[in-house]
Parts: sequence; structure tokens; C-alpha cells
Amino acid sequence: MTAFLSVRDLSVRFSTEDGTVRAVDGLSFALERGRTLGIVGESGSGKSVTNLAVLGLHDPRTTEIRGEILLDGQELTGAPESVLEKLRGNKAAMVFQDSLTALSPYYTVGRQIAEPYRKHTGASRREARLRAVEMLRRVGIPQPELRVDDYPHQFSGGMRQRAMIAMALVCDPELLIADEPTTALDVTVQAQVLDLLGELQQETGAAIILITHDLGVVAGTVDDLLVMYAGRAVEQGPVREVLRAPRHPYTWGLLGSMPRLSASVEEPLTPIPGTPPSLLAPPPGCPFHPRCAYVSYVDGGAGDRCRTERPELPPGRGAACHLTEERQRSVFAEQIRPRLG
Amino acid sequence: MLRFLARRSLGALVIIVLISAITFALFFALPSQPALMSCGKNCTPEAVALINKNLGLDQPVPVQYWHYMAGIFTGRDFTVGHCPAPCFGYSFSNQQPVWGTIVDRFPTTLSITLGGAAVFLVVGVGIGMVAAAFRGTWIDKFFSSLSLVGNSLQIYFVGVIALAVLVSGLHWMDNPAYYPITENPVKWFTGMLIPWLVLSIIFIANYSRMTRSQMIEQLGEDHVRTARAKGLGRRTVFFRYAWRGALAPIVTIFGIDLGSLFGGAIITEFTFSLHGLGRLAVSSVSETDLPTLMAVMLVGCTAIVVANIVVDAAYAVIDPRVRLA
Amino acid sequence: MKPTTRSRRSRGRLASSAAALAAGALVLSACSSGGGGGGGGGKSEGPGTDKNTSSNYSIGTKEDSAGPAPEVPGAKKGGTVGVLQRDAFVHLDPGQIYYSDMLANQLLYNRTLTSYKVDEKGRVKVVGDLATDAGTASDGGKTWKFTLKDGLKFEDGSPITAKDVRWGVERLYASFETDGPLYVPQWLSGDGADFRKALPDGPYKGAHLPASVLDTPDDKTIVFHFRQPHADTPFATAMPNIGPVKAEKDTQRKYDNAPFSSGPYKVGDYKVGKSLTLVRNENWDPKTDPIRHQYADRFEISFGHQYADSTRRFLADQGADKNTLSFTNAVAPEMTEKVLGQADTKARRFVEIQPYVDYISFNTDRLKDVNVRKALAYAMPNGQILQQMGGATAGVLATNYLSPAMDGYKPTDPFGKKAKPAGDPDKARELLKQAGKEGQEIVYAYPNTDLQQKVSVVVTQALERAGFKVQKKEIDSNTWRTAIAEVKNKFDIYRTSWGADWPVSSTVVPPLFDGRQIADGAQNYGHLNNSAVNTEIDRISAIPDVKKAAPEWQKLADKIFTEDVPGVPTFYNTQFSLWGSNLGGVRYQPVYGTVDPTGVYVK
Repeated sequence: MTAFLSVRDLSVRFSTEDGTVRAVDGLSFALERGRTLGIVGESGSGKSVTNLAVLGLHDPRTTEIRGEILLDGQELTGAPESVLEKLRGNKAAMVFQDSLTALSPYYTVGRQIAEPYRKHTGASRREARLRAVEMLRRVGIPQPELRVDDYPHQFSGGMRQRAMIAMALVCDPELLIADEPTTALDVTVQAQVLDLLGELQQETGAAIILITHDLGVVAGTVDDLLVMYAGRAVEQGPVREVLRAPRHPYTWGLLGSMPRLSASVEEPLTPIPGTPPSLLAPPPGCPFHPRCAYVSYVDGGAGDRCRTERPELPPGRGAACHLTEERQRSVFAEQIRPRLG
Repeated sequence: MLRFLARRSLGALVIIVLISAITFALFFALPSQPALMSCGKNCTPEAVALINKNLGLDQPVPVQYWHYMAGIFTGRDFTVGHCPAPCFGYSFSNQQPVWGTIVDRFPTTLSITLGGAAVFLVVGVGIGMVAAAFRGTWIDKFFSSLSLVGNSLQIYFVGVIALAVLVSGLHWMDNPAYYPITENPVKWFTGMLIPWLVLSIIFIANYSRMTRSQMIEQLGEDHVRTARAKGLGRRTVFFRYAWRGALAPIVTIFGIDLGSLFGGAIITEFTFSLHGLGRLAVSSVSETDLPTLMAVMLVGCTAIVVANIVVDAAYAVIDPRVRLA
Repeated sequence: MKPTTRSRRSRGRLASSAAALAAGALVLSACSSGGGGGGGGGKSEGPGTDKNTSSNYSIGTKEDSAGPAPEVPGAKKGGTVGVLQRDAFVHLDPGQIYYSDMLANQLLYNRTLTSYKVDEKGRVKVVGDLATDAGTASDGGKTWKFTLKDGLKFEDGSPITAKDVRWGVERLYASFETDGPLYVPQWLSGDGADFRKALPDGPYKGAHLPASVLDTPDDKTIVFHFRQPHADTPFATAMPNIGPVKAEKDTQRKYDNAPFSSGPYKVGDYKVGKSLTLVRNENWDPKTDPIRHQYADRFEISFGHQYADSTRRFLADQGADKNTLSFTNAVAPEMTEKVLGQADTKARRFVEIQPYVDYISFNTDRLKDVNVRKALAYAMPNGQILQQMGGATAGVLATNYLSPAMDGYKPTDPFGKKAKPAGDPDKARELLKQAGKEGQEIVYAYPNTDLQQKVSVVVTQALERAGFKVQKKEIDSNTWRTAIAEVKNKFDIYRTSWGADWPVSSTVVPPLFDGRQIADGAQNYGHLNNSAVNTEIDRISAIPDVKKAAPEWQKLADKIFTEDVPGVPTFYNTQFSLWGSNLGGVRYQPVYGTVDPTGVYVK
């Protein structure tokens, strides 16, 4: 029995003038209806690429997609464009970050919401418009029957993001991919939008993938968490567990670089040293090893394994790291937790 | 919107008046004298004075300018009789009312411009869109190299070849000539066809290249990706989203091109022996024909300014951000 | 045509150079514009020949003046003749016409007291046109009497009387008539602009010239009482403005749009600057006209055709273009070879010498040493200059001041230009040495047209080879004329040109070399003021017989060239014309230097 969405050994490669970029490399995860999966990672870690691949939105001329993407039992890799078109915005919809550029400036919000509805349901212009008003109301836009004729630039950032969500939900998708839906918003609006997503999920029972670089966002929102680094999943598990007892040094780094309300102002944030690796020529072994402070804990100090052997991610709860589970726990408990306060 | 137009029109008027004043002043800075153009063998100072008096050049320049500009709105009285508004005076070189000449020439320029513009806009933008849609394929490469060739061509070169081949060689077409569309639409069309085609070749190259790059830029925009993520078909996305975004810069350039063509497509007119404003402009300069020069300049200037206002208005229609800002 | 040529040329040159500027070298022919224009080599078919046509001019008799004109062999009635012209006509009013294109055109609708009758061999006779003969002189050549023929009519059928001719002359006194030749009114009433004082408003306010000046004793007779004798009166009365204008139809300035015809054609439709259609004038009587025919039904003249355009159309020779010619458009230089090489053009082209001469004038105010000027004349590379201008179809190498188109022309060659077309640098160097002026600096001015720039290169090289130091001054072609017509100009040598109004050198030597005519804007570009020359000019001018005066003018011109050297002639312009194959009777008008439309018919 496969999950509602099952991604197995997905790899996405772009051919560029400089060579082949391995944007996603052997990624696997699964998601059930009614559940929310958070995907976190720095920019360039492959989170967005993964999700665009799910909807088949990459340019086929420059992109090579391998592996298996099963949505409700339907294979999506290599599916013909016509199949994907029927799927997009319908069974699987997407909410993008930065709604200012992600919405067309040339058409009214209402029209942009109504468009996929007409396309997928064959509704009339009038019906679609009513649906758009209804959707705007659902996402909490005041006076939706008036605002439906506004252009995106006449909306505030939060309203635009709500409209974007309304657009994604207009055909009652079973899978909703939200790509950094709150990045451009201020904190209170962020919370509202996240709440909205949660409420809507309650109503529709959709599966949601929430992509973010911000661990704070996922805390109260998602069920499961996938941490990505350099095109690979490095840690996964139920969100509570991952946040309570993260196992991968990269996840520790992410947590460490996050501002916390409880921390005193004088205490500096500790960013992860170094920069993400080039995906044109990823380092051998564990991709994180050049930035990892704990290589010396592997193999009795030499850390050669980290440099040569790619660590596997165990299914279910676990991290793709050569540190033993014990070591992961102890290092976190002794060195990381105290710093997080 | 109305206020926007009113404001722009007012500004345009100021510009036109300024330019006309500068043109007028520059004319008198020329070392060549209109009187000498017609003064015969006995070109004595008295003869020059007489001609200058006939032409009204004996008065101070600002007074002449005032009379000229006022005449446009109120008409003027000359020794030959009343010249009703809009009066642009009488030509120094052929003593004809300038306005009549302008009215006579403008339809030719209009025909060349609108017909040629229609061709180069449709074909140029069309080619650009095809190239963008098939980016990277041989179709794209073919059109790109074609536009490179088109770009390096010159009207007088293509024009002469077109005449030699299409008219003299193959007898497919008649010699280009202007016939009023009101009199004979068929002849109007056939007479203008070669000028249109030749004029457009040069522009097609520009427009296809510009359209291609605009389309490619637009196709990479977030909102285009959103449209695709909504399940819209490639075609819908291409035309409704990407093209709409590419339209604004194309319209801007088109407006400017159209405006300057309205001022006269000089090379086209000379190549095809047509009588539009461009030829009039050139001859008025060489014949030191101030009234005609001023009139052509004013008409051309107005055309450019109007074209700019139309572009702005079109921009507002295309882009709600401009309209509702 | 006197200032004509120059104005005409400068008009043509300006127009085309401006166009070339704008159009990016559209027009190559620009410079020799008014005439010539051909070029490009043309060695094979050997067009422009140095024929001496001087003996071909004469004053016609009463018989010569009687109509109808001799039939053109093979001529047929009917059809439309198309005419392609580069520059639009500036005037239709015969009173304002001076330029060659409009001169050719007015032949079709305007008759004058006298006219030029050209026979099939190109011989020219001045004959009575409206008048029964070329005029009768009395009072030592000061009084000239003309008698009008019977049956002369305007286009409305009303008779042409002596009063109408008087009106035509008197309207030249009105202040708006400034562009035409003014010989007759000036001879009658005063030099310069003074003549206008005799009749300030022209005939328009009821005043007329007194009978002691211009007399019309009856409807058939008109008598001119000049202030001085004028032997070449029959030539002056052949100018387009010495003809009839009907008072009721005289709309003054507006007459330029709608001249009232006395000739075989009348204005049908005129779109100023674009096109002109001439249609048959049914009231013209061929029996009264010794030179004109009415073969074609209409002439459709259109303007704005660059030489390349008209040549292409004549060469292709298709459809309506078969019935098409041009009065003045020359074969485009770049197409010369093609035209000469295409056998079927042989019967439909000509290369003829025009009355226009190109000079390099020497500013005698600055180059005071005659030996320096002589050295310049020797050094000047006439052959190379002509080559730059287009070679054999553009002109003929000049050896003296007068054009072969002039009556009395002799092919004298005082500076040996025939033998040394590239100039004689040794001789020049020697003269400079004698004068002690080796390395003499020369300020050489020329207009910035394509052709003159090329010419400047060969001129500079030749002069430097002869030991001059040349300082080139390129001048904007729009201001060129004003610049060199200034007496106090700062140049030593400059390109000038001149054409005669009629084939008598009284219209060449005095304006170019009379020291009393030095003024800003005048044509004595060399600023020569030699009292001996001035006296001689007066003497020859007074000779009552133009045929006797002709050789005297040639002698004087040669004497000035040899002794005073205020300039050097470089080449005589030629007209290289081509026309459609379906036209017959296309001939050369040697006085205007254009195609003569009066005998043209559609085959």
C-alpha cells in the first residue's frame, strides 16, 4: 500500500552551460492525506525544485527527472503534459512565495482565481466568478465581491497571499504545495496565513507540503519534517521529535541560526560556518562534511568515512549521518541544547 | 486618466512651442539666405531687399515668429490674399499655401507609415513569438540569423533590389506610387506594397529580436510559472500571460517608431519616388523654405508627441498598475 | 541659363546633397546636377563628342517663322507621354521661369515672341513664334518691332493681341516677379532692381509703361524702345516671360498654379510638388506655330524621381514606362555602363553638350601674381576632374572659357589641356620658380558633396605635384554659394560654374569678367577688373550683328584666359538622356540643354 504521495529516489538534474547541476539527488519521502509535511533547508537545497518536479513544471528540454513520483497511485515522472495539465491546479495545487511577482499584474485577482476553476470544471464565467468571490471570502478577504475585481497590486501583501491560497484551493486540491508562503510577510500575517492553511486542511482533508527555510514556521504547523541539504534529505521524522531531539549536525546548525524569543539579545546567533556546496560538483561522501564540526567524532577522529561514504537516511525517524545514533543524542544533549537555551 | 492625458498634452504643447522657437531661430542662424535662392542674375542688394520684403523677412525675427505661430490659429493676411487658419504661410520656394501642401503630403506618409507599421508589427512580433516558443531549436536559430541579416540591410539597398527584381525583372508589381485610398483602394494597395515590404524588412528584424527576448524574459517570470501551476495550457500561458507582459515594451518602441515615421520616412520616399512629409522636409531645408520647414517640423513634432501620449495611454490600458496607480 | 544654371544647379545640388545626407549616399549624380550628370566611364560607345555647333546658330527668316512646324517623320497622334523629373517644378508662371526643367516644360503651354527652332540636324534658328519674324531693329539697335501673326489664340479661344504681350512684360515689374530673367524690363527701364520704379505695381493698378518705352500702336504690333542697343534682342524675347498673359486671367501670384495657355497644351491637373498633367489645348492653331506639335494627347509629369529611379524605368522599358521620358533627368552614373551596353537603348538615348561650363575660379584679389595663376591653370588636371565627375557621359574636357554650345565657339587650347589632360606640372613649377613663388600656399574651397570631395583629391594632388602647398577648405554645400559669392572671401581657388542664357557669349563674358560687376552675390568670381577688358566688353556689346560679335567674344575670352587667368575651365557639361522605346521625335534642345518635348509622339 503506497502513500497518497510517494516520492522515491527522485533525482533532478539541470543541464547548464557550466555542466550538470544535481539539484535533487536520491530523495524519497511519503505523505498521507490530511497530513502536512514540512520541508526545510537553506536556499538551493532543492526543496522548491523537488516540488516543481512533482507538478512537472520544469523545462523538459533542460531538465532530467529520474525516480518515481506517485500521486494517488498515478506515476507523474514522464507523464504527458496533457495529464499534468489536468492535474495542476486541480488535484495538486501550489502556493508560491512572493505573491507580488507570482500573480500576474495584468489580470484581476478574481479572474486569476476563476481561471483554473473554469478550466478544470468547465464552469461558466459567471459561476467561476461566484466561486472566486466565495474563495476570497473563505480565505478571509473582506468585501470579496468588491475586491474580486481588484488587481494584485491593489492588495496588501497578506491579502495577496490569501488570494494566492484561494487560487490554489479553488478546485479543492487533494495535495497543496505551499512554497515559502509566508516569507515576504510580517510575523502576525505569517501566523494568520499559516492558521488559514491549517483551517483549510481541516475542512478539505488535503495533504500539504510546506516548504520553508524557517524552522520556526514549521513548529506548530506540520506533522512531519524533512530537512534537506544539497539536494538530499538529511533528516526526517515527526516534527516534534526532530525539533526536540534533532540528530543531524546540519539540523543543529539550522536551529542554532534561528532567533529565539527566549534568548537574550546579547547572545549572538550562530550561523553555520561555510557555504552550501556547489551542486555542479558536490563533495564526495557526506555533502555536509566540509562544514561539519563533528567529523572528528566519526571513526575515532579521522572522519574518513564522512569524506568518502555517503551516509544513508534510515526510513522513518533518522538522520543521514555517520555519527552513531548515540553520539548524535549525546552531542545534541551536551553541546547543542544548552546553547539553544 | 483624463487628468493624466490633459497634463501630458499640456506638457507636449510646451515642448512643441519650444522646439518651434528653436527651429525658427536656428533657421535665421543659417548662413544661406532664402532670397539668394530665387534672386536672379541681377542679385543686387535692392533685389535681395525686395525679395525679403515679399517674404516678410524684413521684420524682426521674434515678430516673424509671432506672426507665424499666431497665423496657425487665426489665419493671416498676405498680399496674395487671406490665408485661413490653420495658416502656415506660403512656401518661399513655390509660393503655395504650406498647409495645402502638408494636407496633400500627409496621406502618403500616413499610408507608408500605417501600412508598413502593420506589416512590420504583425510579422516582426509574430516571428519573435515563434522564435521564443521554439527557443533553442533550428527555427529559433533560423529566425535569429534572418533578423541579423535584416538588421544589416538598408532601405535604399533593399528598395533598389526590390524594384529591379519585382518591377523591372519579374513584372510582378507596378512602380510604387501613391493613389488615394478613397479613389482606388486596389491601386492604393498595390502601389504601396513594395514600400511597405521594404520598409518593414528593416523593422521586422528589430521587432522580432525584441519580441523574442521580451517573451523569453516573460516566460521566466514567476507569474507565468503560477499560471502553469494552475493547469493552464501552454498556449494560454504563452499568449495570455507571457505575451501580455511582453506587450508593454513593444508598444513603447512601436509608438516611438510610429511617431518618427509620421514625421516622414525620408529614405523610403526617395527610394520609391513618393511624396510624403520626409521629402518635403528635406527639400524645405535645401531650399531654405522657412514656412514649409516650420510646418513639417511642427507636424512631425506633433506626431511624435501625440504618439508618445498614445503610448502612455496604451501603456495604461495594458498595465493596470500604471492605470490605477 | 545664366544665374539659372547656377541657381538651378545649386538648387539641384542642394536638394540632392541634402537628400544624400539624409538618405545616406542616395544620389551620386548630385554635383553636376543641372546638366551632365552622366558618367561612370562609358568608353565603348563613345558618347559625348566635341562637336563644334557654332555654325548651327542663325536668325531665322519670315519663312522660317511661319507655321506649321515641319512634320516629324513617322509621327502619330494620340497617347500619353509620361515625364519623370527629379525636382518638382517651382513655377509654372512663365514670368518666374529660369531653370532648365521648367524651360523645357513651358514650351508645351507657353508661347513667346520668338523661339528656337531646332531642325533634325540640331541646327538652331531663332524664329518668330508669336511674331511673324525674329524682330526688326531700328534706331541703331535700340528699337525693336515685332508683328504678331494672325489666328493666335489663348486656351479659351480669345485672340492673343499685342496688349496681352504688353501685359506679360509689364507684370514683370510687379514686386512678386523676382525669379525670372529680367533682360527686357532692365533694358527698357533700368538696371538692377531700378526698373521696377518705372511701374511699381506692374499693370495691376491701371498704370502702363509709356509708349516711348513699350508701345502697342495696334493689336498686332509691339515695339520695344531700349535704353541701349541690344543686338541679341531676338534671343532675349525667346525667354519664357516675353509672351502673352491675358489680363483677366492674371491671378498674379496664383498664376503660378494656373497659367493661361497659348501653346498646344494646357494645364489639366496640377498637384504642386507632385505631378502636373498637360492636356491638349483645342484652341491652339498649328498653322501659327513654327516649332510645336500636338501629337500626344497629354503629358503626365511626375516629380521626385531620382536619377536611379528614372534610369531603371527607362532601362526596363515596360508598360507605361515605354511612353516615358524626362526633360532633364540624366542617366544615373552607376547605370551608365548598363545603358551603353544594352543594345536596344541605342536608338533612344543621346549625349549632348550643354551650355554649362565648370570652372575653378582664381581669386585675383588674393592671387595677385599672374604667373601664379598661370601656373595654376597649367597644373589643373582637367581630365582627372572630369573622370571624377563621371567621365565621358558627364562632360567634355574644357580647353577654353566658352562652351562648344556657344555661337562662334572655337576649340582654342591656350594651356594645352588636350595634350596634357592631367595638367602640366613641369610648366607650372617653372612658372612658379620664375615668379619666385615656389611652395605658394593655395586655399582651395569646395562644397562637401561626394563628387566635389573626390575632385578635391585629384586637384590637390596635381597642384602639389606642381609645387603648390594646398590648404583644403571644405564648405557645407548649403552655404557654399553664399560663401564664394562674397567678394571678400578668404579663398584662393574654388569651383564655380556658368551657363549661357542664349548661345551668344554676351551672356557669358560680361557677367564673368566685367570688373564693374564685382559685387557680393554676383558672378565675377575671379574678381577680375581690367579696364582694357571692360572697354572691350563694351565695344563688342555694341556690335549690332550677333553673328559678327560671336568670334569677337571668343577672342576676348581667350585673351582673358591667356593674359589675366582669373580661372580655368575644367569641363563642358553634357546631357545624357534615355527614354522609353515607344516614343518618337525625342530631340535635344541645345539652348536649354534638355530634351525637347515639342515634337514627341507615341508610336
